[in-house]
Amino acid sequence: MTDIDVHHLAAAYALDALDDRERTAFEAHYGSCEVCRTDVLEFRHTLTQVADSLVAPPPMSLKDKVMAEVATTRQLSPLVAPVVALDERRRARSLMSMAAAAAAIVMIVVGVVSFRGGDEPDTFAADLARVMEQPDSQVLSLDSQGGAEGTFRVAWSNSLGEAVLMGEDLPTTPDDKAYELWLITPDSSTAMYVLDPAKDGNVHHTLKAAANPSAWAITVEPATGSATATGDIIFVADV
Amino acid sequence: MGVLRAMRARPVDVATDPNDPLGDLLRRAGRGDQSAFAELYDALSPLVYGVVLKVVRDPSQAEEVAQEVFVELWRLAARFDGTKGSTKTWAATLAHRRAIDRVRSEQASRVRQDRDVNQTIRDERDVVAAEVESSFDQVRVRRALLQLSELQRDAVELAYFGGHTYREVAVLLDVAEGTVKSRIRDGMIRLRDELGGES
Repeated sequence: MTDIDVHHLAAAYALDALDDRERTAFEAHYGSCEVCRTDVLEFRHTLTQVADSLVAPPPMSLKDKVMAEVATTRQLSPLVAPVVALDERRRARSLMSMAAAAAAIVMIVVGVVSFRGGDEPDTFAADLARVMEQPDSQVLSLDSQGGAEGTFRVAWSNSLGEAVLMGEDLPTTPDDKAYELWLITPDSSTAMYVLDPAKDGNVHHTLKAAANPSAWAITVEPATGSATATGDIIFVADV
Repeated sequence: MGVLRAMRARPVDVATDPNDPLGDLLRRAGRGDQSAFAELYDALSPLVYGVVLKVVRDPSQAEEVAQEVFVELWRLAARFDGTKGSTKTWAATLAHRRAIDRVRSEQASRVRQDRDVNQTIRDERDVVAAEVESSFDQVRVRRALLQLSELQRDAVELAYFGGHTYREVAVLLDVAEGTVKSRIRDGMIRLRDELGGES
């Protein structure tokens, strides 16, 4: 998949006509692509008019069901004041949650292997497309722990030895802190990290991932880096 | 906390945005106002149910999916971002996405049956033709769709109404994936130009 192909997926994306892999690839791309974002907004507006031609009276029973469920459903808070919230969360949770999630695995940093920042969206999109094209590529959404806000997804290919990290709607970390990604292997000898404070709410990185991961995890660490994880695991997924 | 109190204390005097007449109801719903959400339901339920029914086809499943859509609108109301389109567009987008999720997960859990591809296409065309009615919106959209080439129209309709991915559409129409991708794009651009900015 080339960059040009990614641009041309806006209409199919608006129609929900992409499979999961392409949808993931396109979503990672279009947040940073003005042309695609405008296309998607306009196509969705057009499809709303098509939807208007489909109106049908819903069953009478539906409103009562909806309102009954609404009455017992908590609403999500708006995305504001992230710095304070993150600090409080870190204090509030015990180190035990990390111990439980990581079990007996000792995470050792062997170093930053490769690091490309989010200021190169086109490069990132191309990296992502390259990884997704591999027959052995996998995508995982990391599970938020203890109510951590935002989403993290990792796509990687063992055969290619590359991984791409996509974090979205994230609270910005405090000045001296940053998000770190940990690659965990069964023999516990390999871990890697990226450091990113998510200044615009997003974290996009491409990494060399030489080892077969058994789990991925995210912690918040001092921006200068740390040799072992000191923060709670705020996102984690087993492979 | 002070900020939250200040927001709550602010009188509701926000002028209605002509581009998003339902935006004010959604903002009130986002602050936990269930009666505002009930009004929003009244305004949006024929649209949400109609979109879901069109894709899912089965009325009882459509009711379930429409309920999911409204509960999600309620949960996410405070996170609505008006720069990404109107409340109505948000509801239509979410309704279609959830309907697609339902048909794809159903499909994945079922043993695929060999089907006569051409029959499938004929069926879907018949359904579209049978639903041409006299309402203004329907006539306008129908007319706009007729401005598309046959392949553009088939591709867009099989994707949006039929819930197929463009790769599946390529198999159904027996043309190359790249061709379907560009017909979908050309078709949507044409449709956008035909329908203009009204909603």
